[in-house]
Amino acid sequence: MKIVKLSKTNVFQFVDHLKSFGEVHAPQRKGKKSSAFQPVKDNSKLLLSDENYTRTILPIKKYFHKPIDTLLKFSPGKGFEDAYEEEEAKVLFGVHSCDISAILTLDRVFAGKYVDTYYFRRRKQIAIIGMSCIPDEYCYCHSMGTDFVEDGFDLFLSDIGESYLVKVGTSLGDDMVSTASDLFIDYDEKDTDEYKRRINEFPTLFVTKVDETNLPAILDMEYKSEIWEEMGDRCFNCGICSMVCPTCFCFDVNDELCIDGESGERKRCWDSCLFKSHAMVAGGHNFREKRSDRFKHRFLHKHQEFMGEFGRTSCVGCGRCTQDCPADIHFVGMVKRIKGDIACVYEGNNKK
Amino acid sequence: MPKPKVGIFSLTCCEGCQLEILNCEDELLDIAGAVDIVSFGMAQSNNPETALDIAFVEGTVVMESEVEILKAIRERSTTLIAIGACATYGGVAAMNYEVNRKELKEVVYGADAALIPSITPSPLHKFVKVDFSLQGCPIEKSQFLKLLGYLLHGDSPIFPDYPVCAECKRKENECVLVQHNIPCMGPITVAGCDARCPSHFNGCDGCFGPVDEANVAMEYHVMREKGMDNDEIRRMMHVFAPTAEVFKKDE
Ligand code: SF4
Ligand code: SF4
Ligand code: SF4
Ligand code: SF4
Ligand code: SF4
Repeated sequence: MKIVKLSKTNVFQFVDHLKSFGEVHAPQRKGKKSSAFQPVKDNSKLLLSDENYTRTILPIKKYFHKPIDTLLKFSPGKGFEDAYEEEEAKVLFGVHSCDISAILTLDRVFAGKYVDTYYFRRRKQIAIIGMSCIPDEYCYCHSMGTDFVEDGFDLFLSDIGESYLVKVGTSLGDDMVSTASDLFIDYDEKDTDEYKRRINEFPTLFVTKVDETNLPAILDMEYKSEIWEEMGDRCFNCGICSMVCPTCFCFDVNDELCIDGESGERKRCWDSCLFKSHAMVAGGHNFREKRSDRFKHRFLHKHQEFMGEFGRTSCVGCGRCTQDCPADIHFVGMVKRIKGDIACVYEGNNKK
Repeated sequence: MPKPKVGIFSLTCCEGCQLEILNCEDELLDIAGAVDIVSFGMAQSNNPETALDIAFVEGTVVMESEVEILKAIRERSTTLIAIGACATYGGVAAMNYEVNRKELKEVVYGADAALIPSITPSPLHKFVKVDFSLQGCPIEKSQFLKLLGYLLHGDSPIFPDYPVCAECKRKENECVLVQHNIPCMGPITVAGCDARCPSHFNGCDGCFGPVDEANVAMEYHVMREKGMDNDEIRRMMHVFAPTAEVFKKDE
């Protein structure tokens, strides 16, 4: 693996350089307390690793699997037409390990039995530049084994103080670096030591930890546990946890019809198994009748079913669902409670 | 095939929903091309009382005479669509629908109370069969056009059955409730407005009415944590959808 060093004083110049590879999107303030991946207009607005940005409101899945996506248009004269418009290449700058890991998970989902062309044609157009981070109280990627990625990035920047060590992951990444060689220098032994010191220290920075060993089996045994009713009483079924989850992929497809009575568009839109209509079938029958059934389903799909299908849970420990849940449901607390480590999800786990 | 005959009617209300239809400026020509607007009080003066394929009715029923008007519209229309919070839930006019009318009239009008013909403010479905309702105070223009599209294609309409929060997050809004402790009814209000208020850093006031299976008890719980008392929460829920069944039980 090629590794070079980028001084922090050269970062903005490098971002400018990256603009020749596509529109650069990076985490910037959104609202008063949050951040989001947005197009970079002013480099000084970027949130870099030492500015302590932890998670964007939405993960980068929004670029590949859009919240609302027009798939095709139809009209009497023309029949069905692909609505895809070739997008400008993009470079996502500053993606954290958990979110990169999540994209690798989504790749496997969308490359399943029916390859999702909508997802993959964007996947090819968008470069990913990773960046190391510092966990906050919601992060538990270390417990989920996603705090460190070996692939899934074109470049990955690891903070070592005054500079970044830049790992080159793909030939595109190599082009990005080699066409701006004057911005980079070789690293030395001291840098290696600092890099190692930081990765060894990293696991100790987590306040939230969870051990999911045995969880799929325990979930099976606890299928009828009273905890689901309890959570069903609490949960709004609002779907926020699915929308913000970097590995939730469900979508609904509907036709929107024009008032000419003849033409229209087919759109897909992020869906959630928390919604009543998700498991509703003809005749109004519902496989997941109650709020608690839906809450349980999401939990089982992430922590149990995924394990059977892909050999790992789909949760990457990004902390979004817990941070954003309006009902104050603490998902790590849930795991602990189900495993019998704590008696109550809300003891000592409250967010505020 | 002749163009479907459409009427747009108003009972007691601010007529904001009609205005929203009139605001479809870019689409008005298309609408006029697709349907025959026989009756539209706000836009034209000649409104003959013929048979209709679709009647859109806004407003709250607050007088006996309006019950008769509504029944007559129902009689001559194949499809009747309630538009807006007033028509669907009674809206702002029904905020105090539980208070005894007679006493209320006496307080407000004194000796003249008996002359005031008002009855308990009620949504349309109390008196006639309503085939479909468009939510909002006022309705969303985009939803009106979407519904018209479905109707003209002869398809049954598909609208969100989930809370505003989902739309809010799809737009990547910062949550006013979780991040800023601003009361928000998004978690129990049906989506369709594209999270209009939270997108402008305001809490949702619930003008679209409650979502199916709304977790009202939890909304009480969360709002209390944000510093509201039960009475304030109850009043907040009763602004736009006072007659909604789910809001009847207090927590
Ligand atoms: S975010 Fe919380 S309240 Fe909303 S659906 Fe998820 S668990 Fe339920
Ligand atoms: S389940 Fe929650 S913590 Fe896990 S990946 Fe999804 S949003 Fe992040
Ligand atoms: S948890 Fe629910 S919304 Fe998320 S991917 Fe699984 S079924 Fe879909
Ligand atoms: S601001 Fe309101 S509508 Fe938006 S996510 Fe938060 S609670 Fe839901
Ligand atoms: S956010 Fe709430 S109050 Fe605002 S328009 Fe939407 S439903 Fe109405």
